[in-house]
Amino acid sequence: MTRYAMIGVFFQCLFVGLLTAATLKAQEKSIENIYLSADLRNVGLEDAFVKIVEMTDLNFQYDQKLVASKKLNQNFRNESLGQVLRAISRETGLSFRRINETIYVAQSAGKKEMVSELVIPTKTLLPVQLAARENQGLPVPFRARTISEQTENKFQLLAIAVSGKVTGEDGVGIPGVSIVEKGTTNGTNTDVEGQFQINVTNQSSVLVFSGIGYLTQEVEVGARTTLDVSMKTDIKSLEEVVVVGYGTQKKVNMTGAVSAVNIDEKITSRALTNVSSGLSGLVPGLAVTQGTGMAGRNNASLIIRGLGTVNNASPLVVVDGMPDVDINRLNMNDIESISVLKDATSASVYGSRAANGVILITTKSGRGQEKATINYTGSYAVTTPTRAYDFMADYPRALTIHQRAAAVNNLRSNYFFKDGTIDQWMALGMIDPLRYPNTDWWDIIMRNGAIQNHNLSASGGGDKSNFFISVGMMDEKGLQINNDYSRYNARFNYDYKIRPNINTGVKFQGNWSNFSYALEDGFTDDNGSNTAGFDMQYAIAGITPYDPVTGYYGGVMAYNEDPQAYNPYTLYINNLTRRNRQEANTMMYLDWSPIKGLTARVDYGLNYYNQFSWNANMPNRSYNFQTNSFGSRVYVGDNAGVSNATNTGYKTLLNGRLSYNTTIAQNHEINVLGVYSEEFWSDRYQFTSRNDRLHPTLREVDAALTDIQSTGGNSSTEGLRSFIGRLNYTAFDKYLFEANFRVDGSSKFLPGSQYGFFPSVATGWRFTEESFLQPYTSRWLTNGKIRASYGALGNNSGVGRYQQQETLAASNYMLGGSIVKGFVNEKMVNRDLSWETTTVFNLGLDLGFLNNRLTTEIDFYDRLTTGMNRPSDMSIHLTGAYDAPRRNIGNLRNRGIEGNFTWRDTYGELKYIVSLNASYNATKLEKWNEFLGKGWVFLNMPYHFLYTYEDAGIAQTWEDIFNATPQGASPGDILRKDLNGDGRITGEDRKAYPGIQRDRPTTLFALNTNFSWRGFDVGILFQGATGRKDYWLNIYNNINIGNQRYASGWGQWNNPWSVENRDGAWPRLNGSGNREESTFWLDDLSYVRLKNVQLGYAVPKVLLRKIGLSNVRIFASSENLATFTKFRGLDPEKDGNRSDAYPLNKSYSLGLNIGI
Amino acid sequence: MKNLTQKILSISALAGLLICTSSCVEDLLEQEPTTELGANAFWKTEADATFALQGAYSSVRPLFDRDYYFSGHGEFIRTRGTSATNNNLQRGDAYHGGDYNPVGYGDNFDKYYRYLYGGVNRTNYVIENVNKMLATASPSSRENLEAIIGEARLLRGMVYFRLISMWGDVPYIGQVVYDNAEVADIARTPMAQVKDSIMADFTYAYEKLPVKAPVVGRAAKPAALAFRGKLQLYWASWNRFGWPELTTFKPSATEADAAYAGAAEDFRKVINDFGLTLYRNGEPGEIDALGQAEKLPNYYYLFTPLANGDPEMIMTFTHGGIGTNQGEELMRDVSGRSHEGSQAWVTPRYEIADRYQSTITGDFVEPLVPMNPATAGARTKPNSAVNPQSYANRDYRMKSSIMWDYEKSVGMISLQPTGWVPFIYKTYNQPITIDGVKYTTYNTDGTNSGYVLRKFLRNYAGQGRSDGNYNFPVMRLADVFLMYAEATNAINGPQADAIALVNKIRHRGNLPPLDPEDVAGKDAFFDAIEQERIVELLGEGHRGFDLRRWRALERVWGAPYSDGKWRIDTHGANQQRYFQNSSERIYEQAYIFRIPPGERDRNPNLTQNTPWL
Repeated sequence: MTRYAMIGVFFQCLFVGLLTAATLKAQEKSIENIYLSADLRNVGLEDAFVKIVEMTDLNFQYDQKLVASKKLNQNFRNESLGQVLRAISRETGLSFRRINETIYVAQSAGKKEMVSELVIPTKTLLPVQLAARENQGLPVPFRARTISEQTENKFQLLAIAVSGKVTGEDGVGIPGVSIVEKGTTNGTNTDVEGQFQINVTNQSSVLVFSGIGYLTQEVEVGARTTLDVSMKTDIKSLEEVVVVGYGTQKKVNMTGAVSAVNIDEKITSRALTNVSSGLSGLVPGLAVTQGTGMAGRNNASLIIRGLGTVNNASPLVVVDGMPDVDINRLNMNDIESISVLKDATSASVYGSRAANGVILITTKSGRGQEKATINYTGSYAVTTPTRAYDFMADYPRALTIHQRAAAVNNLRSNYFFKDGTIDQWMALGMIDPLRYPNTDWWDIIMRNGAIQNHNLSASGGGDKSNFFISVGMMDEKGLQINNDYSRYNARFNYDYKIRPNINTGVKFQGNWSNFSYALEDGFTDDNGSNTAGFDMQYAIAGITPYDPVTGYYGGVMAYNEDPQAYNPYTLYINNLTRRNRQEANTMMYLDWSPIKGLTARVDYGLNYYNQFSWNANMPNRSYNFQTNSFGSRVYVGDNAGVSNATNTGYKTLLNGRLSYNTTIAQNHEINVLGVYSEEFWSDRYQFTSRNDRLHPTLREVDAALTDIQSTGGNSSTEGLRSFIGRLNYTAFDKYLFEANFRVDGSSKFLPGSQYGFFPSVATGWRFTEESFLQPYTSRWLTNGKIRASYGALGNNSGVGRYQQQETLAASNYMLGGSIVKGFVNEKMVNRDLSWETTTVFNLGLDLGFLNNRLTTEIDFYDRLTTGMNRPSDMSIHLTGAYDAPRRNIGNLRNRGIEGNFTWRDTYGELKYIVSLNASYNATKLEKWNEFLGKGWVFLNMPYHFLYTYEDAGIAQTWEDIFNATPQGASPGDILRKDLNGDGRITGEDRKAYPGIQRDRPTTLFALNTNFSWRGFDVGILFQGATGRKDYWLNIYNNINIGNQRYASGWGQWNNPWSVENRDGAWPRLNGSGNREESTFWLDDLSYVRLKNVQLGYAVPKVLLRKIGLSNVRIFASSENLATFTKFRGLDPEKDGNRSDAYPLNKSYSLGLNIGI
Repeated sequence: MKNLTQKILSISALAGLLICTSSCVEDLLEQEPTTELGANAFWKTEADATFALQGAYSSVRPLFDRDYYFSGHGEFIRTRGTSATNNNLQRGDAYHGGDYNPVGYGDNFDKYYRYLYGGVNRTNYVIENVNKMLATASPSSRENLEAIIGEARLLRGMVYFRLISMWGDVPYIGQVVYDNAEVADIARTPMAQVKDSIMADFTYAYEKLPVKAPVVGRAAKPAALAFRGKLQLYWASWNRFGWPELTTFKPSATEADAAYAGAAEDFRKVINDFGLTLYRNGEPGEIDALGQAEKLPNYYYLFTPLANGDPEMIMTFTHGGIGTNQGEELMRDVSGRSHEGSQAWVTPRYEIADRYQSTITGDFVEPLVPMNPATAGARTKPNSAVNPQSYANRDYRMKSSIMWDYEKSVGMISLQPTGWVPFIYKTYNQPITIDGVKYTTYNTDGTNSGYVLRKFLRNYAGQGRSDGNYNFPVMRLADVFLMYAEATNAINGPQADAIALVNKIRHRGNLPPLDPEDVAGKDAFFDAIEQERIVELLGEGHRGFDLRRWRALERVWGAPYSDGKWRIDTHGANQQRYFQNSSERIYEQAYIFRIPPGERDRNPNLTQNTPWL
C-alpha cells in the first residue's frame, strides 16, 4: 500500500466521522444517515432505484442486464439507505458501492450482502485542476446531475462494450477507480482486481478515469474493445499531512519552515547503524556530519541552519511527543515520518527547547490497515574504510628516518639508533619475524567490519483499534578489532477507541545495547587524563603484536628504542571497556472530544534508562623475544582490578492539552490549541572500583581484594514547566495565519529569572488559489504559496543544573595522616542570568509546476541569537578561584537560504524522481559584551573563522632565508609571510578570512535520485559540502618527530624536503616552525560524496500471491562508495580531534524484504 | 443542549484536574543540589571555620607542592617537563605549561599567576568570614578562631610573597571579591606596600598561632616566623643587590641592613625558641657500599613519608596516599619507568656531582672525567664519571640524592616490588649480571646527564606514582639555618653560631666542619653557605629564586654575549647550552616574570615589567 493510499484511507475515515455531526448536502451524507420510507413490495428493481433517486439526490449506475427482471418485495419504514441497500443486496445478490452521488451496482461475488461507500466532500474532491476544468465547461466526475438527465441517459443506446484493467505504476490493479464516459453520466468503477466493463456510445467516446490519489486520465475509446490503463500517482492531490508539534497540519496550509522525510524502504534498506546518519542529504538546512566510523559512536551530529549558539547547538529530538529521546537508539524501521522544524513558528511550541530546531519523529501504527501484515527486512553489509593511514611497516627504514631527523641537530655518534641495529634488523627481519618484526599495525588492528540489520514487524487495525509491534536487531562489527556494537529494539504501539469520541493508546519502546571498545575514539582518546591517548604515533613496526606460542605480547627490542613504544594490539585485546544500556520509553494518552471540534487530551510519558560500564583489564607485560625477558612496559599490571559505573535515571512528561477547531461561515477554519506541560529529569551515577582481581577471568567487584577501592556517586534533577498556545486561522483555503507562544520556567535559573516567553507569528498566502491570478498561472503553476514567520525561541542548555545556586564545593585536606573536610567557595553567581533567546525570521516560497511534477521550496531565514549564555570574562585575579559566572553575553546571527527542487515524472514505465537540495548559511558573531582577544572568535566574523599565517613555500636556499623575514628558518623550512611588515613573525601576521569557517561547512548540497522500472528501482544519493577549511596537522603526518619510537608512515619516507628531494611535499624533518598553522597545511575541506547507491528488485505480486506473500524485495546498497575531495587527511567530514584515526565506513550490503 | 452543557462542565472538570495535578508538584522549579553544600547552611559554627580553613589549605597546597619543578631554573636540576595535569589544580595545574629551563621561562607563568591569585581569594574568604564570626564569638572560641585567621593569613602571606618574588609589583587584593568589576581595572601595588601587608599577615600569624601545631599539617608559630624571616631576607637581598628590571623599585642599603637584621632575628627565634632539631638530630646515619642501597643515610629518609611531622619540617603541605585523591607525584616526576611507570621529568644534571665534597677532606674532590663506557677502561679509570669508585667517600647526601651507574633502587610494578634495579645510563631495561646476581636495569627516557634522583623516591612499593603521601616541605629547619647564616654574614660577616649551624648541616652529610679558609670572610662564608644550599636543598625549588635575588645569573652562566655554558653528561656528550650569545634582555627576562598579557589586554591599568614590554 503506498503511503498516499494510506493517507487517503485515513482521510476517508476522518471525513466520514465529520459527516455525522454536520448538516451537509445529501451528496455528502453517509448512506447510513439518509433515511427513507418506501414500499417496495412487488416493485421492479429499476423502479426501486428511481424511487430512491427521487428521495435521496443520489443516482445509480448499473448494467441493465443485471437489474432486468429482478423484483423486490419489502417495505421500508424510516430505514437508512444503507439498510435498504443491504436488504436489496441480500435479496438480489447485487453489490452496491456508493461513491459520492453515485451508487454503482455490480454482481456480488459469492452472493454475499455487499454495500460500501466512499464519500469525499466537494472541497477535498476538487483539487485545483478539476476546478479549473469546471470553469471551462467540462464535465466533472462525481458531480451531481439532475435526475432528469439521469433518466434521459439511462435509456440511451450504449453501443460499444469496452473492458480492461486499470493498474497502478507497479502494475497491480486498482479497485474503485471511477470510469465515466465523458459528457454523460454513464460510468462504472473497477472491481477489486482493477477490472472494468463499460458500454459506450461510439468510438469517439472519451473515458475519464479517476481515482483517489491518482491523476485523472482521459482516453478515447477508438476501435478498441479492451482498454488497459495505467494510473499515475497524483503527488499533491491528496492533502499531504505533516506532523508538527502537538498535532498535524495539512502541508498546503503550513506557514512554517518544515521539511518532512518519510521513512520508506529507500532509507531502511541502507546499511545504516543509526537514524541520524540516515538524514544526510535529505533535508535542506540540516547539516549531518559523520565524525567517525566507530561502531557504537558513529552517529552523526545534527545542526539545523548553522551554529545557532556556542552552547549546545543540537536540535531537540521529539519522538511521539516525548522530547529528549536519543535519536540514535531508535529503530529506523519503526519510524513513519520525520519532520524537521526549522523556523520559529513551527518550533515555538517547543519554546525553550527549540532554539536549534526540532526533529519530530512519529512511529508507525496499524491505523487503517484492515489487513494485518507481517514484514521482515534484513540486510548484511561488509564495511571497509573510506580511507586509511599509509603506515610504513618497515622498521629499519623507520629507524633511518629517525637517523635523518637526528642529523638535524646531533653528531652522528649521538644518534640513538646505530647503523648496526638497522642493518641487523634489515637482514634478520626477512627470516625471523618474531624477533625482528616489521609489523603492519593497521593490518593487525583493523578488520573488515560488518553490519547486520534484522527487523520483524506486524501491524494491523480496524475501526476500534490498531497496533504495530516490531522487534529489531542491529549488530555492528567495527573496523577496529573488538569494537563491537549491537542494539536490540522492541516496540509496541496500540490505539483503542473506547467510545466514538474517546481514544486511548500507548506506545512502548524498549531498547538495549552492548558496546565494547578500547579507547574513547577507537584508536585515540583526547581526554587529557589519559596520557596514553595518542600513543598510536608510537606504534613502531618493530614490535611483535602477540606470539601465540608463548602467549606473550611484544614490546620494544631494538637497542636504544624507547621502552614506552606502543603495542596497540594488546590494548585492543586486553583493555576493553564494555557498556550495556537499557532504555524503556513509554507514552500513553487519552483523548476525548465531548463536543464537535473540541478535544481534550492527556499524555503521560516515562523514559527510563540504565547504563552499566565495566572494565576488567587482563594483566600482561611487554615481552622482548630477542632477550626472552619482560620489557619494562607493563601494559596491565598484575594487580588489575575491576571498575563499574552505573548511570541510571528517568524523565517524565505530563501534557494536558485542549484543542478546538471549527469552521465559521464555511470558509474560515480556526484551530486553537492550549497545552500545559511538565517535564522532570532525574539522573544518578555510581562508580566502584577495586584493585586486585582474585583471578583474571573474574570481572565483578566482589571478585577483587578489598584493600584498595574507590567509589563515587551523585545525582541531579531538573524541572521544566511550560504553557503553550497556538492559533491557526485559514480563510478561503488561501489566507493562512498562525500564532504561537510558549512560556517556559526552568529550575536551572533562580526565581525571578526562571520564566521565558517565546511567541511567534506566521502568515501565508496561497496565491494560486486566487481567481484573479488563475488565468495567468493555472497553465503552468499548479500550486504557489508565500509564507513568512517571525518569532522567538529559547535555550538554557549552557547552564548546569545547580550552577546558579550558591553552593560550596568540597576541597578536602589531609591532617595528621587522615582526610578531613574542606569547603571552598568557587561560585560567583550572576543572579540575573536568564534564557538565551533566538529570534527567527523566515520567508518561504513553495511552488508546484506542471501538475506538481516540479516542486520547489525556497526559504530564506535570519536567526539572531541574543543574550548568549556564556561564562563571563573574568579577571585573571579571580579565575584561579572562581568559575566565571554565566552571563547573557553575545549575539550570533545566522543568515541563510535553502532550497529544495524535486522533479517527478514518468517516462513510459520508467518512473523517476530527481531531487536537489542545497543550503547556504553564514554565521556572524555580532555582539560580545566582553573582551575578545585575538583568535578565531571576533565580532562580525563567523564563529571559529580562519585566522592564519600565510606561507611562502619551502625555503630552498640560504638566499631564500636571507630574503625572507627572519624567523629562525633554514633551507627546507616553511617560510611564513610578514604580513604587517614589522620585520618579525608574530601572531600579528595572521590574516582573517570572514567567509571561511574552521569547524563546519557553510554550504551543503545533495542530489537524490530514484528510478524505478517495473520491479526494479535504483537510488543514488550524492551529498557534498563546501566553505570549510582546516589544517592538516596531526600526529601521523608529524615531521618534527622525537628521537625514538615514532611510527613513521610512507609520508615521512617520501615527502620531507631534503637536498636530494627539493620538490618534497613536506618541509624537512625536525626543522623549525614547520608545524605552525599556516596556509601550507591548510586544506579545503569541500567534498562531494556518493553517499548511497541502491538497487532493488520487487518480485511481481502476481507471483507472490501464489505463495501467499504480499511483498518481496531484494536489494543491494552501498554507502560512501566514492568521495571527491582535495583534503589530504582521513576524511573531510570528520571534525573534532584531528588525530582521531577512526575512518568512516564504506559499506556494501545485500538485503531482503518480505511482507505477508 | 442539556447534553452540551454537561459536556462543557465535564471538560472544565478535566481541565481543573490537570491544573491540580500540576500544582501538586509545586516545587518542580526548585531542585536542590545533592552533593554541594548550600552556602546558606555554612558559617554557622566554629567547625565551619575549620572546614573553610582546611579548604584554603587544600587550595594553597597546589601552589607550592611542586616547587621542585622550579629547580630547573637553576643549573643543577633539569626539569624537562612536568607530570602536571591540565585543568586539574590538585594535580598540578598551577605548574602546568610552565617553562623550567634555566632561561626563557619568564613568560610561561601566566597560569601560575592566576592560581596564586586563586589562593589569595581562597584565603581572603576564610579571613573575612572568620573575622565576621569573631565579632560575635564567645570568648572560649576566640583563640581558636584567631588561630584559624592566623593560618589563613600565613597562607595568604606565602602566596603574596611568591607573587612579589616573581613579578615584583602585583595588585593587592585583601578582601573577598563579590564581582568582577571590583578587580577588572585593578592596578599593581608597589612591592614595598605588598611586602608590608605580607609582614602584617606573618606577624598576625606569629602572634596567634600555637607554638606547636595541634596536628601534622597545620602551621604553628615557627612557620610564621620563618616565613617572616625569609621575606625580610629576600627584601634585604633585593635592596642590596638591586632589581633593576623592576623599575618602580629603588634599592636602599639601609633598608637592606635593617631587613637582614630583622631576618636574622626571626630565624634566630625559630632556631632557638621552639626546641626544633634537624631530622634524626642531624646525624648522618648509615650508608651502604657503592652499588648497595639496603642502608641509606638519614638525609635520604628526610624525603620519604617517614619524615612527615618531623620537627625539621617547619611548614609542609600534606598529601594522602591511595584513595584520597590527594597524592603527590614526586616518584612519577623523579624516577623512571621501572618505578610504577614513572616518567623522570626532573633529573639531576651532571654538574651537581662535583658539588659533593669528600667525607675525608671535607673539600671538593678532583672533578670527574666524563667518559664513554665504550672506551676501554672507562669503568675503572680513577675519576671517570662512569666508574662507580669515583663516587666513594662523598658527602652522604650524594648517595641520598642521586644515583649514578650501578646504584640500585627498589623497582616496583603494580604496587609490588620487583627487586633491586641498577641504574646504568643509556643501558635501560637490559638484563645484567652483577656479582653473579641477575638484574634488569633501570629504565627511563628522562635523563640526559647520566644521573637520576634518589631524593624523593620511595624505597618500598605499595603506592602508585600518583599516590605519594609525602608532606612536601616549603620551609625546613636546615633552610632556616642557612638563611640565618646568610643574613648574619651579610651584616657582620661569619659568626660563630652561624658557622656552627652550617657545620651541623654538613654533619648530616658526614662532612667535617668547614675549613678556616671557608669562614675567612664574608665572601668565603657566603660561598660556603651557597654550596650548602646547593647540596642540601637540591631539587626543592630554591636555586632559581636564590640566583635571581643574588643577581647571580651572569656569575653562573656567563656575561651577556658570552658563550654561555654547556650542560653535559657522564659520557662527555654536550646536551644543552644556555645563555649562548644572549643579549642583556634575555637576562632581564630571566630576572623578572611577565605580567600576563591577556589580562593587560582587558585591563590597561595593569602595567608590564619593562623587559616584557
